[in-house]
Amino acid sequence: MSDPKKSGLPRSVAFRKEREGQWFELDRLVNKSMRGGLKVLSSAELHRLPVLYRSVLASLSVARRTAMDRALLLYLEALAGRAYLTVYGSRRSTKGALRRALFETFPQRVRAMAPELGLSTLFLALGAFVAVGLMKSDMGWYDAFVNPALANGRDPNATTETLREVLYSGGNHGEELATFASFLFVHNARIGMLCFALGFAGGIPTALLLFSNGLMLGAFIELYASRGMTVELLGWLLPHGVPEIGAVILCGAAGLHLGRSMLLPGKRSVRDSLAAAGRRSAIVVAGAVVLFGIAGLVEGIFRQAVTDLTLRYALFGFNLLWFTAWLFLAGRTKRGAAAKGAPS
Amino acid sequence: MGDASIAPLHHEPGERRIEIIGPEGVPLTFPAASIGERAVAFSLDIVLLGLTIVTLVLIGAFLSAGSQMSFPMGMTLIAVFVVQHGYFIFFETHWQGVTPGKRLMKLRVVSRDGAGLTTDAVIARNLMRDVEVFLPAAVMASPEQVWGDAPPWLLLPASLWLLVMFLLPLLTKDRTRIGDLVGGTLVVRLPVAKLQQDQAARTSLVPDSPDDVLSFTAPQLSVYGETELETLAGIMRKTDAGKASNRDLQIIAMTIARKIQFEGPLPQTDPRRFLRTFYKQQRSHLEKKLLFGERKADKFDAT
Repeated sequence: MSDPKKSGLPRSVAFRKEREGQWFELDRLVNKSMRGGLKVLSSAELHRLPVLYRSVLASLSVARRTAMDRALLLYLEALAGRAYLTVYGSRRSTKGALRRALFETFPQRVRAMAPELGLSTLFLALGAFVAVGLMKSDMGWYDAFVNPALANGRDPNATTETLREVLYSGGNHGEELATFASFLFVHNARIGMLCFALGFAGGIPTALLLFSNGLMLGAFIELYASRGMTVELLGWLLPHGVPEIGAVILCGAAGLHLGRSMLLPGKRSVRDSLAAAGRRSAIVVAGAVVLFGIAGLVEGIFRQAVTDLTLRYALFGFNLLWFTAWLFLAGRTKRGAAAKGAPS
Repeated sequence: MGDASIAPLHHEPGERRIEIIGPEGVPLTFPAASIGERAVAFSLDIVLLGLTIVTLVLIGAFLSAGSQMSFPMGMTLIAVFVVQHGYFIFFETHWQGVTPGKRLMKLRVVSRDGAGLTTDAVIARNLMRDVEVFLPAAVMASPEQVWGDAPPWLLLPASLWLLVMFLLPLLTKDRTRIGDLVGGTLVVRLPVAKLQQDQAARTSLVPDSPDDVLSFTAPQLSVYGETELETLAGIMRKTDAGKASNRDLQIIAMTIARKIQFEGPLPQTDPRRFLRTFYKQQRSHLEKKLLFGERKADKFDAT
């Protein structure tokens, strides 16, 4: 090659000639992995990728400051963009990622939204108290609070015998109840996700949804209490109620967290605050869906097999134990402490 | 110093660009995915998702018809739920921010902060789909079923709210939907990287003799700026493709010669050679200036 100074060629011509080879090499690797994913690259190519990517970034930075060739700049810009997507777009799943998400990240993020958890519980409890109070004066309120599709024949017109039977129905109805339990799981999980997503409206719809779920809960309790079956009802409700009501509260807290991040973003912009809260809450909602699944299992399997009241309360105690341990103790490692201390 | 010397790149006119600063600190720009492209990609995904769900339901119906148990029905319910809510999350985490629909439309989900796309961001952006797409759709299809016996005063603000959420991508600069805001993500189009020939390195038409016969003085090379240089490169690319007539080239060469008060042999006889030599020397001149931080945008730029 002739010396650029002598030939009068622009500097960017030599610049391009020197580096072109690397650019084309990167281009080839990127195209290859875009077609078949990173796994089609050999280990040598895999090691070469980030090296080439960084050298193209350097080329781009230099070209932006020194080159007067738009075609060159557009190419480098596009190539660097494609390489960025290849290098950083992919998430190679590491071993134990799911375990860490469930038993470290999930409980950590739950604990990080303590105020919202309190508020969420408050709205639910408020609904329950209002329902109990109103139904003490007029049983007719029941129909306003409980969706007939979920009541499954449990309403003030039913006889005490029917109501009792629902609490202990097993045996032949087992199969049907398995279907009903999966219906409930899907229904509850959807409500939970909606509870979170509606938090985008400043958290207000989330609060309303929590309150109305509380109304339903309170209505059930008062219906059975009015027939003198509180202890039996709680024996039926509490074993699956621990994960189920817990999950409702978690989803509500996640929605309220979203609302709070918009209304009180603090030092960050609303955009950044919302995104950070959204990501934090997403894991909580995903964990809550798992809890809804566990509640469904307890409801569909164990509750049918276990009709003895003492055993039911024992199951409740057991559920309460692992639930508390999972959400309030798990993930308190050094890494967890570090993650909590670091600004997320 | 620094960024002041970086001129904005001129991409296709009217095209929206999204800037992302990767972990290396070098700003990269991507074309923003248009609403149309995203709608098509989403529709493709919905069709695929719908077909999967129909298949699952058919399998479930077949299995429960064959047995007395209602067990398969329950399993079907759960399977449909998992597929419906897991489809986008699965593909966006396992296919590098791409779903089958996005793949066909060459779109990608990226993280706004420039770090890699994380699972929690993907979950967050897809949890919001319910309120921004399916809920408004359900309201339009059967309002009474969604609102139930909600008080009437709530209907108007709630409907308006849903409408705003649905139309949000039209209102935001980066075409972000709510899911993108909550997940801190953006959707970009995959850039196409094609390197065109360097017009200054072409020697076939100009003998690479020690010094070009034509030579321009510094004041002559200071008349035009970057924009005109780029236009000239475009003209020469057209010439290469055989799309520029000799007559046009003559006119262009004469115009330049007059403007810069060129005093050498007039360019009518070989306008190509004149233009190419001028382009080369002009670019060398501008790049030399750029080294000292002086950027001349166009002929009106007086610096």
